[in-house]
Amino acid sequence: MTAPNRAVVPAGNIYDLGYRHYEGKRHGRWYAAWSLYVESMRGVWGFGRPMTAKAAPFILLGLYAFPSLIQIAFSSVISQSVAEGRATGLFAYDNYYARISFFIVLFCVAQAPELVCRDQRYNVLPLYFTRALGRLDYAFARLAALATALFMVLALPMIALFVGDVLMKPDTLQAIGDEWPKALPAIPACALAAVSLASISLALSAFSPRRAYSAIGLIAYFLLMEIVPVVIYSVGRQADWTWADKLVLLAPNTALAAAADWFFGVGLVTQGSEGYPPTLGSDAYVVAVVASIVVFAGILLFRYRRVQA
Amino acid sequence: MSLIETTGLSKHYGQVKALDMLDLRVEPGIIGLVGANGAGKSTLIKILLGVIAPTSGTASVLGMDVLREGASIRRVVGYMPEHDCLPPDVGATEFVSHMARISGLPRSAARERTAEVLRHVGLYEERYRQIGGYSTGMKQRVKLAQALVHDPKLLLLDEPTNGLDPVGRDEMLDLIKRTGNDFGIAVVVASHLLGEIEQVCSYLLAVDAGRLLRAAPITTFTARTPVLAVEVEEGADRLAAALAARGFKTRAEESCVLVALEDEALYDAVRDTVADLELPLIRIEQERRRLEDLFRDAAPVAGSAQ
Repeated sequence: MTAPNRAVVPAGNIYDLGYRHYEGKRHGRWYAAWSLYVESMRGVWGFGRPMTAKAAPFILLGLYAFPSLIQIAFSSVISQSVAEGRATGLFAYDNYYARISFFIVLFCVAQAPELVCRDQRYNVLPLYFTRALGRLDYAFARLAALATALFMVLALPMIALFVGDVLMKPDTLQAIGDEWPKALPAIPACALAAVSLASISLALSAFSPRRAYSAIGLIAYFLLMEIVPVVIYSVGRQADWTWADKLVLLAPNTALAAAADWFFGVGLVTQGSEGYPPTLGSDAYVVAVVASIVVFAGILLFRYRRVQA
Repeated sequence: MSLIETTGLSKHYGQVKALDMLDLRVEPGIIGLVGANGAGKSTLIKILLGVIAPTSGTASVLGMDVLREGASIRRVVGYMPEHDCLPPDVGATEFVSHMARISGLPRSAARERTAEVLRHVGLYEERYRQIGGYSTGMKQRVKLAQALVHDPKLLLLDEPTNGLDPVGRDEMLDLIKRTGNDFGIAVVVASHLLGEIEQVCSYLLAVDAGRLLRAAPITTFTARTPVLAVEVEEGADRLAAALAARGFKTRAEESCVLVALEDEALYDAVRDTVADLELPLIRIEQERRRLEDLFRDAAPVAGSAQ
C-alpha cells in the first residue's frame, strides 16, 4: 500500500497521519447479506453487546432445554423400566415441542424485536440501504438468522435426548443405530418450526420501531391465535359446525406440534389427543404451516419494500 | 466524466414539488449544496443514492445512471445522513467495521480500515465504548467514519455540522476539507448555513423550493462586504441617518440598522452615535450571511438611508 496523500496539516494537528486509499477486494450483495446474517446471529445471542443482552436468549435456551437435561439426569432411574418396556420417558423427540413450546415462543418474543426494531428505532436502515445491500436482502438475512437461532434452540434438547438415551444403553454403538432413525425426523421438524416461528415473529415485529410494542404484539398474536381457534372449535364441535375444525390450523403452536407428526409418523394427531380434530390429518397441518411461512415472509418482505429509509 | 449530472430532475410528493426540473452538471471537488430547510437538498441526495426514485428526469453519479445502476453507485459512494443513525448499544469499532463489511470489504480489511478511519476522524480510546455514551460531536464523527470506511469515490454529507457547538463545527469542517483536498475524495456537503459551507467548498450549488438558484465556483459568492447589524429598541431610522451622515452605507430595517462593515472604525462610530442619540441599544452583531442576501442581486446594504 502506498500513502500518496500524506496530509499537509499545520503542526500540532492531531490527525497528521495521512490517508491511504483502499485498493483491495470489494464483494457484492451476497457477501453483504452474509455479513448481516453473521451480525444478526451475534445480535440474537447478545455477542458484542453488554451482558444484559445475553441474558434473555441464554436463559430461555436453558429453560427450553432444561426438561431434557432433567430427563437425562434421572434417566438412570427410569431407564430400567424403559428398557423393560414398562414405561417410556416423559419427553421424546416427537412430543418435546408440544410440551415445552412456551419457552420457544418467549424466545421469539424477546429476540425477534431485537433484530428488526433497533434498526428502525435508531434509523440505521438508511445506512444499510445506501450500501451494497438491497432491501429484500436485508429482510432475508434477518429472517435466516432468527430461523437459525431458533433451530439451535429447538435442536439442543433433541441432541440432549439423543445423547442421554444412547449413553444409558450398555452397547453404545448399537444404541446409536437404534436411536438414529427415531431421532432423524426431529431435524426437518425442528427446521420447519424454526422457519415458521421466525417468519411470524419477524414479520410482526417489523411493524413497530419500539421493541416493547413489538413484543406485546407478538404475545397477543401467539396467545389469541392459540386460544381463539381452539375455543371456537370446541364450541363448534357441540354446535355441529363442520368448518370449525379447520380453524385449528391457524393456531401457530398447535399446528407446529401436529405438523411434527407428519415427520415422525406418530404422535398427537394419530393418537387423537385432546384439541386436535380427528378430521384433520398431520399433512393438513404441514400445509398450513408452510402456507403461514409464505404469508408471513411475504408480509416481512412487503414491509421492507415500503419502510422509510 | 462529470461527478453529478441531472437533467429535468423532478420529485413530487403529491402537490409538493421537492425537486422541480433540476439541471445540474458538477465536476469533482468539494461541492456545497445550500438551501433552506425543505429546499430539496436531502431529496436530491437520496435520489443520487438511488434510495428514492425521481418522478421524472434523469440523474447520474460518476457516469452511472441512478435508476439502472443504483447498486453500483452505492458501492462507491459514502452517505452520512442528517439524522441520528447509530445504535447506542455497540461500540464504534464494532459498528463501523460491520458497516465496512456490508459495503463488501473482507473481514480483515474491514477491521484495518475501521481503525484507520476512526483515527482520521479523531476517535481514539473511546472507540471501544458504547456509542450511546458519546457526545453529539463524537457521534457525528462516527457517522462520518462509517461513510468513509469503504474508501468511497464520492461522499454525500447531509448537514454534517448538525447539533455541533462552534468548536465541533470547525473541527468537522476541517475534517471535510481534508477529506476533499488531501484524500482526493469528491464531497457534496448539504447545509442550510452558507457561512460554514463557504469555508470548505470550492463550488456552490444553491437550491430553493426544488429549483437551482445558482451554481458557481465559491469565489464568485464570497466577494461581498460583511454586514454589522445594530439593533435598538427605538430610533432605528435616526441612527441610520446619523451613521449615513458619517459616511457609512446603512439601511434601516424595523428595529435594526444594517451597516456595511468596511473598516474597524465602524465599531467606534456605532458606539459614539448610539451614545450621542441616547438610544436603547439591544445588540451589535456581525450578520451571518443569510441565503436571501445571497440571491438578492442588489447589494444587501444600499447606499442610502431611508
